[in-house]
Parts: sequence; structure tokens; C-alpha cells
Amino acid sequence: MKRRQLLALTFALATSSALPAIAQNANQPYAGTHIAVLMEGHPTTDGIQKLLPEFTKETGIEVELEVIPESDITAKMLLEFSSGSGRYDVVQNNIIYIPGFVKAGYIDPLDDLAKKLPKYLDRADFVPGYLNTNIVDGKLYGLPVYGESTFLMYRKDLFEQYGLTPPKTFDQVISAAKTIKEKSDGEIAGITMRGAQGIQNVYVWAGWLWGYGGEFLTKDGKSALGTPEAAASLDAFAKILRDYGPVGAANFGWEENHVLFQQGKAGMTMDATVNGAFNEDSAVSSVVGKVGYVPVPKQTDALKGGSSSLAVHSLYITSASAQKEAAWLFVSWATAKEQQIKSFSIAPNSGVTSEAALNSDEFNKRYGAFKEAMLASINQGNPQYLPTVTAANEIINNAGIAVSKALAGTASAKDALAEANTANDAALAR
Amino acid sequence: MLNDATKLFYQPVVAFFGAVSVVITIYVVWLTFHDISLMRPGQERFIGLDNYLRLLLDPRGLNALWRTVLFTVLATTIELIIGLFVALLLDREFHGKKVARAIMLVPIVMTPIVVGLTWRFMFDPSSGMANYLLSLLHLGPFDWLGNPNFALFSVMIADIWQWTPFVVLLTMASLESLPGDPQNAARVDGAREWQVLWHITLPALHRALLVVALIRAIDSVKTFDIFYIMTRGGPALSTETLNLYGYISAFTNFDISYALTVAMVLTIFTNVALLLLYNLAFKAQARGAV
Repeated sequence: MKRRQLLALTFALATSSALPAIAQNANQPYAGTHIAVLMEGHPTTDGIQKLLPEFTKETGIEVELEVIPESDITAKMLLEFSSGSGRYDVVQNNIIYIPGFVKAGYIDPLDDLAKKLPKYLDRADFVPGYLNTNIVDGKLYGLPVYGESTFLMYRKDLFEQYGLTPPKTFDQVISAAKTIKEKSDGEIAGITMRGAQGIQNVYVWAGWLWGYGGEFLTKDGKSALGTPEAAASLDAFAKILRDYGPVGAANFGWEENHVLFQQGKAGMTMDATVNGAFNEDSAVSSVVGKVGYVPVPKQTDALKGGSSSLAVHSLYITSASAQKEAAWLFVSWATAKEQQIKSFSIAPNSGVTSEAALNSDEFNKRYGAFKEAMLASINQGNPQYLPTVTAANEIINNAGIAVSKALAGTASAKDALAEANTANDAALAR
Repeated sequence: MLNDATKLFYQPVVAFFGAVSVVITIYVVWLTFHDISLMRPGQERFIGLDNYLRLLLDPRGLNALWRTVLFTVLATTIELIIGLFVALLLDREFHGKKVARAIMLVPIVMTPIVVGLTWRFMFDPSSGMANYLLSLLHLGPFDWLGNPNFALFSVMIADIWQWTPFVVLLTMASLESLPGDPQNAARVDGAREWQVLWHITLPALHRALLVVALIRAIDSVKTFDIFYIMTRGGPALSTETLNLYGYISAFTNFDISYALTVAMVLTIFTNVALLLLYNLAFKAQARGAV
């Protein structure tokens, strides 16, 4: 009796494990495969999450999508990478880390996979500036999910009222900020920018650094923050925010900054191009149609690199992944134009990386107000806007402390940067 | 014999936990003798005491240590003083005593994340409640968390708000367990209220207050959440405690061995300081009593 039960059980188990194999057909060679994906909390991720069931239906691949804030994502994936756990098959990150990841052998090149499984891939459709950032030593490592640049946003109505013209140099930005603050009796801040210590203030100040003719690293890989150009840029950045900026800017991150500008409490702001989508959204903004967009100014023509950023966040396949082909199908599907176009109706997203999506009617209808300035900024976008070396994070952190000190007035721009310069050289030497 | 039997119950547990913490501590010390970065796998190497030397010469680390000490001493002292004061005030029968006690539990049971966020909104320079109240007095606006001279104290205010009730509750409990006779005897002998308080109540509370101070000091050294939520160490490093510096070394700079060194040094400092405090407080008292 017992033996018969055992036999029955064995038979049942055998047939049930055989069933998926029968269900697999030629169109779905990866059916039943399970992949784990780590992505940033971002509107584009919301879009992909909503569309996921379609991917599973088409390919039979199960995707376990984990979404965490961008600020924590690098540490999380590094812990998994360094233990070689293979916990994630696909991860999303900013390009600044990619050269370091490639050097460490954490992520794999995609060229062979692209050749073998080109089903969803349309390489020519990606904005070239975005795709090229993912090519290291001639090999393609990732596909861009979203990208952005930075530009200067100004209130057209206020500029007209006070007889100002859109600034082309930082001196003009400073004098415009002064005029707006003084003529509005201090009611409206001349300019608002992120001042919070770390990547927040560095992301914006870097535009000033490059625009004054400075740079983060010299050609031979040393820190270049001890230069007079860097000091002049930080001095100007700190002064304009202290004198004509809003109270509390020293702790502003992206959120506080864009909210203040949307509320009409500032005459200008310099930030990511995605902010345009918030300015022009009447559900959250009181300045719809009143904002003009121009590329980030420059103080000199002798630039070492463009003053607009080029930030690209892409999907990468980890070296420890055991299902690279299924992972590739997901990566190429999630970044394909069809999904990007569908995502417009799911969450606000001006950072699409597909030319087809950029030129769609939907995009023009929603983001036409700043499309031209955005494309101009992307085309001038500086892929080295933030350093992309192995020690990138530490360099950005040290620079952020210097910016914060200059802003708080606890050290002069020159001294604060000299300190960061020493710390960065030490980090680069490690 | 009975004694031996009870030992069988707790000794394995003590031995297990002891062994685990010893093994982990030794492993951490071993790691701090290396150079380990998450961004440079496969290049770990033995560097001896270099990490400790680096911390000794690292002004950022030393400043962070100083801030940790400042925060711990100030926050603990202020919480004790206010807590004792409130406890003495509440130490009588009145309507709603139970409600008052329940309300005091609210900050204690709140998660630090919520406390940090709440206070960050209160201290918001343009729409926060703190500046609104100041504006009624025609003061401000004041940049509570953005001014490097004051940010540490703003975070401290949040910590004091959250943990003073803890001091109050523990002090009240021991106040209630005090025998009333010595105080009444003193009153009969003509002592004024402040004399009763100073010469009888406070000495009787001595031990309870020391325990509360010890608990609060240990907690203050470990404070991380509200700093992380309210300032993340900024502006201009003005709120970066050693805990936060260790965190940033590990999860921003990915310098694992240096982060562990920072943590190790903090642990050693804390243990030495607290052992000293403990010995001074209890052993001295015990000797005095003999």
C-alpha cells in the first residue's frame, strides 16, 4: 500500500515537472525562465512595470522586478556583485559607474547576444548620444532606458516685465537674478538651484565648472579642482544662491528645487531637462506656458567640455547572470520604441531614448515647449560632465562637500576646492 | 546541584552569543587590516594598521568623532534635565494622568524615519511650522537645517523631542516606587520642598537616573536614522557624525575596510567611555556605601 502511494506520488511529480516542457514551443524557447531585474524608481520604470505582462505573454519569461531609489541602487548592486551571488540578471544604473563596472568585470558585453537575438533591437533608433555612452572599448554594454541633459529655465513673463534677455553667459545669469530679486522686492528669488551636499549640488554646479572652463579631471587622470577656473565657478555659484536664491537652498534636492520653481517663486533655475515636463504639467505647475528654455550658459569660449550634462541610465546584464539570453530579451524589449511610445500615457517621461518616440505626436503635444532646447542641450551634452572613473562616487562626494562649504560660507571657494582636490587625488591613487 | 541545573539552561546561550560576537569582531578587525573596495574586486591586500593611521590623520573623521561626542553629551544631558523636571511635575495625582502618560509614549514608539521626516517638514524654511511661529514674532525666516552653525542642534531638537518622554516615564516609575516616609518625615521636621527634593528625592533617584543616562548615551552614539533623513551629514559636513561617516565611506565611496575601521574605532571609544562611566557611577557608589 505504502509502496503504491509512493509510486503514484512519483508519477504525479514526474508528469507535473514534464508539463512546462510540453508547453514550450518554438516561439518561446525561454518560456518558464525566471529573471530578476533591479531598476530605479523613475517614471520610465513605472511604464515598464505596467507593460511587463505583455512581455511575459510574448516570451513566457517571468520577470521579478525590484524597484528602489536611485540613491541606494549602486550600493545594493555592488554588494551583490562583489559576493558573486548572481542575485540580479539585469540592473539599471547611471553611465558614470559603467567604466568602473566593466573594469571590475561586473557586467557583460552585449554584442554577441544582439547578433543572436535581434528580435526587439533597433540600434539605429536610439538617440546616438545616449547609445554611444554605453560603448566601452568598442563593445556595447547596455541599452539606454532614459536620458537627459541640463538647461536653464527662465520665466518669460518676468524677463519681459523687467526688460531682461535670456542669458548666454553666467555673468548675465547673475545680473538677471539680481534684477528679479530686487525689482520684486525680494518676493521672487532670482534663481533657485539644488544646494544639498553630494550629487545633488554637484550635478548642477558641474555646469558652472565646465562653463567657466574648468574640469573634474586632467587628461592624465589627476584631480583638476584646484584651478582658478574651478574656484571662480564655485565662487559665482555660491554667491548667486546666497544673495539671490531662496532661503533653504543649501538643503534643496531635485524635488524641493523643481517644486519651488513650479510654484512661481523663482525667476530662473538650472536643472535637468525632465523638469520641463513638470513645468508644463498644469496639474502640478502654476507656470505652464510661462517658461523659456535655453542651453546652460558659458562664461568663456575656451571650454574643456560642454556645460550641459549628458546623463544616461541604461540596463546592463550582470556577469553572474545564469540566464543571459532571457535577460537580453528583456533588456532589448524594455528599451524598444514600442514600449517607449506606450509609456507616455502611463507616466510623465520626457527622457525617452528612441528617436521614434522623440518624434512622435504624443511627445510634441506634451513636451513641445522645451523640446528644441532639450535636443540642443543633448547634442552639446558632455559625456564627461560628471567623472566616469572608478572613484567617481567619491570624487563627486568630495566635490559636493566643497560646494556645500562655499555655499554655507564656512570656507572660501578656493580653500574648499583645494581640500576636495587633495581628497580626490588620494581617492584616485587608491 | 540546583545551581548546576540552572546553569545548563543559560550557559550554552551565553557561550553561543559570546562566540558569535567574538568571531565577528575578530573578522572585522582582520578586514580593517586590509584594503577592500567594492569597485576594485580582486585587489584586496593586507595593509596592516594603515587604515587606523589614515583615520588618525583624517580631519573629516576626527571632526565627525567630535560631533558624535558633542551630540551624545548634549542630547543626553538636556533629555535628562528636561525629563527629570517633567517627571517631578507629573509626580502627583491629577485627572488625566493616564492620558498624559499615553501621549508621552507616542514619540517613543514612532519610527525614527517618521520623526526625521516630520521635523524636516517643521524646519522647512519656506513652508515649515517652525518659521511660521517665528514669523508671528516678526522673526526669521531661519534656515534651521541649512545653517551649518545650527543644523546639528536642529537635529538634536528632534532627538530630544523623541527621547525625553523615555526619561520621563522611567523616572516617574522609580519616583512612584520610592517610599514616601522619608520625605514626609523631612516635611514634619520643617524642611522646605526644595530641600526635600535636593536632599531626599534626588539622592534616592540617583541610581535610576544613571541607568537612564547610560541607556540614552548608548542610543545617542548610535543615532543614525534622523541624521540620514534630516541632513545626510550636510550642510558643509556640519552634521556628519562618525556613524554617518562610516556609512558614507561604505556606501558612497565603497571603501569597505575604511568604513569598518571607522565603525571599529567608534565601538572601542564607546565601550571605553561607557565602561568608565559605569565604573565611576556604580563601583564608586558601592565602595562609598561600604
